[in-house]
Amino acid sequence: MKSQSMSSLKIDNLQLSQQGKLLLSLNEEVKGGEVLTIMGPSGSGKSTLLNWLVGMLPNDFYANGELYLNQQIITNTASHLRNIGLLYQDPLLFPHLTVEGNIAFAMPKGDKQTRKDEISEALNQVGLAGMEKRCPQNLSGGQQARVALLRVLLSKPKAILLDEPFSKLDSQLRQETRQLVFEQIQRYSLPAVMVTHDESDAIAAQGKVITLDALSLNKAAS
Amino acid sequence: MIVANTLFTRLVRNSPYLLIALLVVPVLGGLLGVLLPAFGWFPALGANEFGLFGFIQLFNTPGIERMVMLSFGTSLISTLLAFVITVLILASYFNSPWLKRIQRLLGPILVIPHAAAAIAIGFLITPSGFLSRLVSPWLSGWDVPPDWLFPHDPYGLSIILGLTLKELPFLLLIALGVLAQPEIGKTLKAQHKVASSLGYCPMTGFFKVILPSLYGYMRLPILAVLAYSSASVEIPLILGSNTPPTLAVAIMQWFSDVDLSLRIKASSGAILQILITLSLLGSWCLLELLVKKCSASFLVNGEREYGGMLIQRVTHLITTVMLSVIGLALVAMVLWSFAGFWSFPDLLPQQLVTLHWSSALLQMQTPLFNTLVIAISTTLIAIALTLFVLEAEQQNTKTISAISGFIIYLPLLIPSIAFLFGLVWLFEQVNSQHAYINVVFSHLLFVLPYVFLSLANSYRRLDPRFSTVAASLGVPPSKIFWQLKLPLLLSPILIASALGLAISFSQYLPTLLSGAGRINTITTEAVTLANGASRRTSAVYALMQMLLPALFFILAWAAPKLFFRNRG
Ligand SMILES: Nc1ncnc2c1ncn2[C@@H]1O[C@H](COP(=O)(O)OP(=O)(O)OP(=O)(O)O)[C@@H](O)[C@H]1O
Ligand SMILES: [Mg+2]
Repeated sequence: MKSQSMSSLKIDNLQLSQQGKLLLSLNEEVKGGEVLTIMGPSGSGKSTLLNWLVGMLPNDFYANGELYLNQQIITNTASHLRNIGLLYQDPLLFPHLTVEGNIAFAMPKGDKQTRKDEISEALNQVGLAGMEKRCPQNLSGGQQARVALLRVLLSKPKAILLDEPFSKLDSQLRQETRQLVFEQIQRYSLPAVMVTHDESDAIAAQGKVITLDALSLNKAAS
Repeated sequence: MIVANTLFTRLVRNSPYLLIALLVVPVLGGLLGVLLPAFGWFPALGANEFGLFGFIQLFNTPGIERMVMLSFGTSLISTLLAFVITVLILASYFNSPWLKRIQRLLGPILVIPHAAAAIAIGFLITPSGFLSRLVSPWLSGWDVPPDWLFPHDPYGLSIILGLTLKELPFLLLIALGVLAQPEIGKTLKAQHKVASSLGYCPMTGFFKVILPSLYGYMRLPILAVLAYSSASVEIPLILGSNTPPTLAVAIMQWFSDVDLSLRIKASSGAILQILITLSLLGSWCLLELLVKKCSASFLVNGEREYGGMLIQRVTHLITTVMLSVIGLALVAMVLWSFAGFWSFPDLLPQQLVTLHWSSALLQMQTPLFNTLVIAISTTLIAIALTLFVLEAEQQNTKTISAISGFIIYLPLLIPSIAFLFGLVWLFEQVNSQHAYINVVFSHLLFVLPYVFLSLANSYRRLDPRFSTVAASLGVPPSKIFWQLKLPLLLSPILIASALGLAISFSQYLPTLLSGAGRINTITTEAVTLANGASRRTSAVYALMQMLLPALFFILAWAAPKLFFRNRG
């Protein structure tokens, strides 16, 4: 499809600073299905970068530069109109909704039955068949992570951001979930930006790796 | 933890029993003290046979249905309004710096006694009040005060206004307190962010994600507000109609009537009051269930925007109106307290005089002395007992049981009008004629829960490793308590004391009843004067009621700063 082949997230000459001090500068384009990995020590500004991408930069920071999603400039678009999905290390499922409710919450409006079927099918695909009516609190960590992933994907985002998404999972689960996430990113052909501390995540992503360092000089490695 | 057996530790260990006894005995004893007469047993009148004639008398009282309706309606509507406005403010200003500003503006209202708030609102809406002066004569054409019924309107609208304005800051601060808790607040904010990244406009995100979780934490405080407002007397007494009044006010009048035979009817009324309060709580829970059922599909229908901008505008408007009402009421009161001659449509008095202040301050000496003596003794007892109980908790390394946790709130949940009269009867039985002690004892019922609430969090947060380290150095528990914990907790203790004083200052019914009318405080005087002839004297008393707690809160806030600066 044409629109998919064109999908990209472009960070154009970004300079992020805090109280006049430059935190990082970046110039990157991520194509649909690709994962850009950001690494770096604690406090180097990784989460701040993601906050800027979703339009929730705290008041303390100042940003210079433009952001394009699918060739459209969205630098000043309100966060809820950006269509950029977020996946954190905590699943942050809504406790007052069932598994099905959590996913339905994220889906676009539409026919009730169609949405229901879509949810069942998606749950099935990630090995959670029949868990529609469960409470998210009663799921294991790995199951919660998968529901959170489905919630983002079924909201039909145009790009996806991952902030240390696997860091709370043990190594076996980590590998499985990671594989699932990358598969889905390719399947939907989404541009993705992933923040991680883990070398193996970076390798598994098979994309470009950028290491921010505390001195705000960043070097790009392949 | 193995604790040495010294006088101090024994004292500490037994303090929870004392706390529970101090709260349970008066409340249950007081309830018994109205239950017996309600069913006809009142030996002082020669009535020793159980029967329902109290209730028959009660239901034959002219206007009784209206009294019940007024009690039910005013409290339900005001609590609903306060809740809805709280939610609108939170939804509109979530993530905005305005939330903090509104909190700061409304916070002080929390410590304004109900009586003073009612007097201030009365000044605003009375026919010759500030509101009608503001629009006269240029807009309204009024040259004489308009002929409206506010305050004292028969529908209880003034009562609703007063209750809503008093309840709103409480609910808002409770909600903000929940959001400020690191665990809960952070999760809720992150979830709101998730909703936002899923395309939800901030307002819809608040209603669909934050509110369902937040409500769970606000539920008990809301029910407490509802229970309190259904049986409170100050606001209906000052802002309500007397033909007929709310049930609580009527009960109070029957109880204080010289005609002792009305006591039986009043006791039956107190039982009816409890039933009304219970049915209000039940109605709220039903309403809650209904809303939950109806909103279930709305939460997950995928709709992301419901005219948030419109709701936001409406909220701006409500907030502005509310803050102006409060501001104008205060200004009006200050003006009245200094007003010389002030003819009707004039917005400002012709001259300002200090006469009312100087004469009121002279008259005020005894009430002021009583107010301070009672408040200070009550607060000292409450603080000491609370600290001991919390220390006992730490020595046992477990929090006090759920039952005791609930008992602490007992006096706040049961309508005080229902047990205070029984308590007075109890005082008579044990022949306790010392009015001061009786008043302090009854104030404790209301001061203790708040002091405990206020101190418990800080005390429980104290790092237990401090004590472990100190104990391993051979320091006895009493020394750890006096020389380590208390200095560390100086600031919270002072704030809790200021709160305790403020609660005691504001008590009307307990002072009136336990003191058998012999002990006048600023609050009892203010209520008496509120419907009296001199609006100017009344203004001075109401302002005094606001200034006293404010003064002690400022002291509590400033003292540790000065203290620590001198040391450094
Ligand atoms: N809300 C905020 N307001 C002000 N400063 C902030 C805020 N959040 C983060 N910072 C500061 O900005 C800098 C970058 O923080 P950021 O959270 O982006 O780091 P990070 O690379 O994500 O670190 P970590 O690996 O620990 O998550 C830090 O110096 C941090 O203290
Ligand atoms: Mg981070």
